This record gives sequence, C-alpha cells and structure tokens, in this order.
Amino acid sequence: MKLTSFAFKGNVRRQLGNAVLQDNMKRFGGRFVKARAEAMQQVDNLEALRLAATQVRDHTLAHLEEYLTAFEDCARKRGTVVHWAETSEDVNRIVLNIAAAGGVSRVVKSKSMVSEETGLNEALASAGIETIETDLGEYILQLADEPPSHIIAPAIHKNLDEVADLFSSRHHTPRQTDIPALCREAREQLRPHFLSAQMGISGGNFLVAETGSVALVTNEGNGRMVTTLPRIHVAITGIEKVLPTLNDLSLILRLLTRSATGQDITNYVSLLTGVRGPDDLDGPVESHVILVDSGRSGLLGTDLQPALRCIRCGACMNHCPVYQVVGGHAYGWVYPGPIGAVLTPAYVGLEKALDLPQASTLCGACQVVCPVRIPLPELMRVLREKSMERRLRPWTERWLVMLWRWVAAQPALYAVVTRWAARVLRWAGGRSGLLHHLPGLDGWTEGRDMPAPQGQTFRDLYRRKAP
Amino acid sequence: MSARDRILGRVRQGLSGSGTVSLPDRGRPRGPHVTWPSQDRVQRFMACSLRMGTTLQRAGTLEEVPSLVARYLGSHGLPLCGVAWPSLRNMEWVGAGLALEYREAHAGDAVGITSAFCALEETGTLLLVSGPETPASVSLLPETHIALLDAGRLRPHMEDAFDQVMESFSTWPRALNFISGPSRTADIEQTIVIGAHGPARVHVVLYGQ
Amino acid sequence: MRVGLFVTCLVDLMRPRIGFAVVRLLESAGCHVEVPSTQTCCGQPGFNSGDRESGRRMALRFLQDFESFDHVVVPSGSCTGMIRVHYAGLFPEAPDVQARLDRLAARTHELTEFLVDVLGMKTVSGRFEGTVTYHDSCSGLRELGIKQGPRTLLASMPGVVLQEMSQPEVCCGFGGAFSVKLGNIATRMARDKCEDVLSTDADVLVAGDLGCLLNLEGCLRRMGNTRTQVMHVAEVLAHVHGDERK
Repeated sequence: MKLTSFAFKGNVRRQLGNAVLQDNMKRFGGRFVKARAEAMQQVDNLEALRLAATQVRDHTLAHLEEYLTAFEDCARKRGTVVHWAETSEDVNRIVLNIAAAGGVSRVVKSKSMVSEETGLNEALASAGIETIETDLGEYILQLADEPPSHIIAPAIHKNLDEVADLFSSRHHTPRQTDIPALCREAREQLRPHFLSAQMGISGGNFLVAETGSVALVTNEGNGRMVTTLPRIHVAITGIEKVLPTLNDLSLILRLLTRSATGQDITNYVSLLTGVRGPDDLDGPVESHVILVDSGRSGLLGTDLQPALRCIRCGACMNHCPVYQVVGGHAYGWVYPGPIGAVLTPAYVGLEKALDLPQASTLCGACQVVCPVRIPLPELMRVLREKSMERRLRPWTERWLVMLWRWVAAQPALYAVVTRWAARVLRWAGGRSGLLHHLPGLDGWTEGRDMPAPQGQTFRDLYRRKAP
Repeated sequence: MSARDRILGRVRQGLSGSGTVSLPDRGRPRGPHVTWPSQDRVQRFMACSLRMGTTLQRAGTLEEVPSLVARYLGSHGLPLCGVAWPSLRNMEWVGAGLALEYREAHAGDAVGITSAFCALEETGTLLLVSGPETPASVSLLPETHIALLDAGRLRPHMEDAFDQVMESFSTWPRALNFISGPSRTADIEQTIVIGAHGPARVHVVLYGQ
Repeated sequence: MRVGLFVTCLVDLMRPRIGFAVVRLLESAGCHVEVPSTQTCCGQPGFNSGDRESGRRMALRFLQDFESFDHVVVPSGSCTGMIRVHYAGLFPEAPDVQARLDRLAARTHELTEFLVDVLGMKTVSGRFEGTVTYHDSCSGLRELGIKQGPRTLLASMPGVVLQEMSQPEVCCGFGGAFSVKLGNIATRMARDKCEDVLSTDADVLVAGDLGCLLNLEGCLRRMGNTRTQVMHVAEVLAHVHGDERK
C-alpha cells in the first residue's frame, strides 16, 4: 500500500473536508461501539478473559521461536509448504513463484492486511495475473482503486450512493440503490471467479502451533471459498500471529469477535490444516503459508513489544475519537487508529510517520477496550520520546519543551514569568475575556477562542489574602 | 543463511534475556470461558442458534429426518433436489421424495445437506469436519444449507469440540468449519445483509435426545 | 489534617478562582490547607511531548514541595494521573527517591476523590441553581476511575439538576499540546462535544479539569454560544449565593 503517513497533517486537512467521510463517520462510527458494549454486557468475566488472553499472547511472544518452529513442523507434516519472508518484496516474490510454478492466471483473495502491507495486488497485476478481492468491502475498494480505511470494515468511508455508482459503471448493470440488491450483485459477480481461479490467497487470523493449522474468522464465506475451491491456497500472515494451542485459540476468539463486531462468534471460524487427502473430494491440492517478518521481529525485546499482542479486532480505532474524526486514510498506511499510530512508525520507520504518535490526546479509550490490554497511550508516549531523542520533532517544539522545563524547575523565575503572562494575556483578552488570535497558538485559535486568564496568578492572590 | 534462519535469529536476539519455558511444561491449559445461567442444553443451543439466524426443527429419530427435510424445502418453495454428503447416502431420501447427489458441491446446487460432527452450546455453532465422505463445499456453495445434528453431540464450548475431534480422528482433519448461521456482510453502510458468499439459509434438523 | 494544595499550573495562571473554591471546600470540611509557594507544574506537558526529563525534574520539585503533608489535593484528574500513575516509573536508578515519590503519590488525590473517598463527604454546603452537565475528563475517568464521586456531590446540591450528555466519556479534544499541534482535529472533537453539551440544554458545563474547560469554553464561544456557563466542579461545589464570577 502506498505510504502517505509522512503527510499526516495534509491527509487530515483533506479528510476533515471530505463530506462523505464525515457523514459516514457520524452515521456509522458509533455502531461498532454500541455492538461491542452490548456483547460485553453479556460477559460476566470480561476482565478474566482479557487477562488470560494477554497472558497467552505474552507467553507466545516470549517463546516465539519455539512456537513458530512447532507450527512449521506440524504444518509440513500435513503437506503445507512453509515460507519465511523477511520483507514485503520477499512476500510478493514467493507468491509470484508459487503462481508461476502452478500456472496460475487468476487469483481470488480474501482479506489480508499483510498483503496490503506488501502491495501484493500490484505485484500480481504486473506479472499479468488477474486478482480479485472477494471480501465485499475490499471488492468495492478494488473497483474504486482505493486503499482500505478500517481493518474490519475496509470500505466504511464509502456510502451507498458511491457503491451504487461504482457497481453500475463497472458491472455495466442497472443502478441498484438498495443494499441487499448490491450485495446480491456482488455475489453473482464474484461466484464465477471463485469457481475458476487456480489460486486462493487469504490472510491468517491465527496460526495454531499444536496442529499446524491456519485459523480464519469470517462472516461472508468468501474466506471459505478462497481456501476450499482453488487448487492452490496461500495464507499470508505475520510471525506474531501464532498461538500455542487450540484452547488458546478458543479463548482468543471469544474476545476477538466480541471486540470487533459485537458478535459472540463470527458466522465462520475455519481451521485449515494441510492439503486435501487422497480420497477427499474438495480442498486445495497445494497449501502454502508465508510467515512474514517485515519489521515485526524488531519490536521483540523493546518497549513496543506489547503491540505484537494485537489480534486485529479494530476496537481501538472504533473507540478512538481522533480516528472517528479523521478516518482511516489519514493515517496513510495499512493500520489506522491507535494501533496504527504505533505499528506504522515501528514498521516503516518513525521518521516516515512522525505525526502518528502525536495524533492522540492519550485519552485512553483504546486501552480500556483492547482485548489484549495493549497499553497504546504508553506506546505512543514511548514513540514520542524516541522522536525527541532522535531530534525528529521541529526545533520550536523541542525548544519550547526545554524552556518550560527550565522555567518550571525554578520557582522564583516561574513566578515572574507566570505573573507577567497572566497580565499580558488578560490585557490582550480585552472586555470579552477571549483571545481570538494568539501568535504561536494558531493551531488553537484557528478553530476556538482562547479564554483569557483572570489577570493574576493564584499564588500571588493567595499570598496577599493569607494572614 | 536462509530467510528462516535470519528471522529466527532476530527473534532469538530480541528475546534474549527473557526466561524460557519449554513447550511441554505449559500443556493445553484452558482459559476462562463465557458462562451462562444453567439451562437445558438443547434449549440453550437452540436459543443461541436462532440469535445467529439459524432456523431449527426437532425430529424424534434419524429415520424421520428425510421427510422433515422434504417438508421444509417444499414449504419454502425450494427445489427437492440438491447435493448431500456421501456419508448420508444410506438414508431414505428417495422415499421422502428428494433427488440428491452424493458428492462435493457444484455451481448449480441449490441445496446442500450435511451432518454436524458436534455443536456448541456457548454460541449455537455447528462444527463440520471435512473428509472423503464429508466434503467442505456442500455447506458452502448451495444457497440453502441443511445440517443434521444429533442432540447427543452438543458440547458446551469450542474447547470441548476440539477435544472431541482429537478423540475421534487419528489424523487432524483438513478443514474444521464452525458455522453459526447464514453468511452475512455489513460492508455497505454497516447494514447487515444475510446471504453474502456462503449460504443465505442455514436450517438445522436436531434429532435424538 | 494538613493538606497541601497543588493548584496546577493552569489554574494558577488562568483561573485562580478555582483555587480559592478548592480552599473554601477543604477548609469548610475541616482541613488545614497550605499552598506551598514554590510549586510549579507536574511536568505532564513535557512528559507527554516525549521529554521524560520534564517528568523527572517536576517530580523532584513536587516531592520537595509536598512531602511533608498528610495529603495533597489537586483540582485536576490529569495532573493527579501524572503524579499517581506516571511518576511511578521515573526513577528506576534511584529506588529510595522512587519509594518516597510512590508514598507521596499514594497520598495525592484529585479534589472530588479526596472529598468523597478520603473525607467521606456526601453533601456540600455550597448553593447553586441550575441544570448542570458533567464531562468526564479522560485521565480522571480512565486513570483514576473517577465517575460517580463528582456526580454524587453535584446531585447533593438542592438547586442542581444533573443532565447527562449522550456521550459524557468521549474526549473533548484537549490533550495538552495536541490541542495546538493538531488543532484542526482538536477543534472538530471539541465541536462534537459542544454539540452534545448543547443538546442537554444545560445552563452549566462542568468538569474536573481546566484544560478541557478552556478548550470547550473557547469552542462554545467561537460557535457563537454565550449562554452556556463553563465551570470547574470546585466552583460549583463551593458556590455561595450571590458569588460574583470575575
């Protein structure tokens, strides 16, 4: 996916002016929040579940090598070819090699965020291979040539009118304006592709080390199509997605679906292990799993390691007031919202995503709902510290921080500075007591007034009042 | 050095210093699950299934099932033909007026008939296990999916279902599909529409006690 | 009970009357209140901007000013959160300093927390007339768990009618330096919040953090609203009839 995280502020300006996005966020943004809250209300031991899930993820990460190799052993025994990819380019090259060896001309894909990281669709297209996204949201975006803006609801930024226009112009069909009819149309358009593609590409919600399986969590059934019908199945997933056992998977799923869409369970949970047996009537004859590093191993053993617990439920973005105002595209890469504000700088480089860790009031709403208790505000603060240490922030900002630190450490000087500031700002506020413009604080006064101070500091007044 | 070695090397290096517990020590502990007020197991399963959009009916014995399926299809204006799992070929489908083929599903199949390996009370979920006699596509391609379920195969949680699979199969099956109601999407304006790529109708015939 | 008032840099500079309201509340509850004149700031602005050293220096300043008190009261959930939650990991190399800070942090309370949880107060003696809507400031709510306390005290005032917003827990968009660095996002968040406030038809918007209040007051006024009063919870609780707001 094309990286624009370095242009966050420009992206934000554009998205704040995007009327459709703003309208969609207002209309739909709260639905996930409501659905999650209702689902969690039915769970009387939510904190026990969160704690256990956190421990499972931490345990797995602490023994990642063992679980990855255990997964690899079990998967290989069942005929799955396990590939290791260090970079995005590796992923694309491996997929192209599999496709070339299998004589593949058509690929159907179910949702894979890792393949968005690598730009796989473009790589396949340039090799002359037709690739069709089959998750409805991803399909809409493929037709519109846009990246996803949410990891669970990729086309949340598009409204009904836009989808109706898109379908009728791309399918050359009469314009449908009712949502079930549009879904029906997508089903009919995509069915032949499922039946004719030689290769299916999916992500992997989890890998299970115990059985060498890929676990997929879907609602539409496209994930099952992609992994059942084509001759070749390729699953692409990050190395952090492994879970030790089936019991761990059962536990984590309870939280994943409730946190994501408020469902007790998704319509389909599929556990795929190896290739079709000699007497099987369906299932792929070739099975591949690509284990992707692409920056992940660099987080192990660092302050940012807890971010690798992430199970991609999207609750942090659903509950993030910043995401709800700017939408997913503003973040400029695959993962938006608070988890994106941590993962993007970690994976693509802090200097290319400098404003993302700043794009939070540290309100903590994300941390409260995270099913695996990732301390997202703390991780954003860690990245802010790294930005300071590496002198990546503007000099004015660094200088102001140092100045404040210097002044506030000296009470006598601080008293003089605040005394004068209170007076000057009081005077500038005039009769209204409001500052409509304040040099240096344009970021504030462009959209809001700044209430002026009372004119004297509390400490001065208190000292005079005291006996 | 291979990509594998380099990745695992970085993993090892990153984690150096953190304590190591070998795999067998941990075993397969169960985490907490969702609890519910004690309730009849069948009632619980049925209530959860309905919430997921599955429809259900009860049959006394397995022998009654074919005629109930025929009646269900007829009353919904659905064709009395379709595809069924080869494992179900010995049942009296013909006598009930159904013309079934016993194979994997093809594009034109309107009805697919399967049988659940077991089912989960926690979420109203069917577990279907793929194999030579139980192809996965039958529960996927047809617009209507009819699943037989032995009431004696209800299990409380997903963990119990996995244990059951481990007991029953010497080789772990290629595909386990946990199915909870008809396929759906909410990708246009967050509006839930039933019937995405998978079946639009999931009907369970629950037999036995 | 000797109570030190950490008035916070924002109240000190912008709204001394909040500080006096706090003193009035504490003294009428029988506390002996002192205001160390060398206090400055908790260090949060720098700390949240990525300068850990700001936190460390201000933590030492705080320790020096307040270690001798039985309790420290702070009219801000955000500054209290800084002290109670974030001071905890600042001095890994100096365990003795850290231990002293930890002990002091445990005696440091946000105002309503102190009144309700430490003093066991259920009612206040102030008099206030009007419909009030309470905004849960993020740090107070999520770092300290403050939710019912301020509502209980406000509801205990005979003239006060509490009217909840539809989403009282959603952030107002202040976030310290965020409100300037990413001012356009902050403004949009503040507007959404203000619309929620206005939909309650409340006479007064109340919160426990001056940062949120300045943000929301500035937003309301820019939106052309002059009717809705914006007050710190201390000002309402300590309000005396006929009190003239400056």
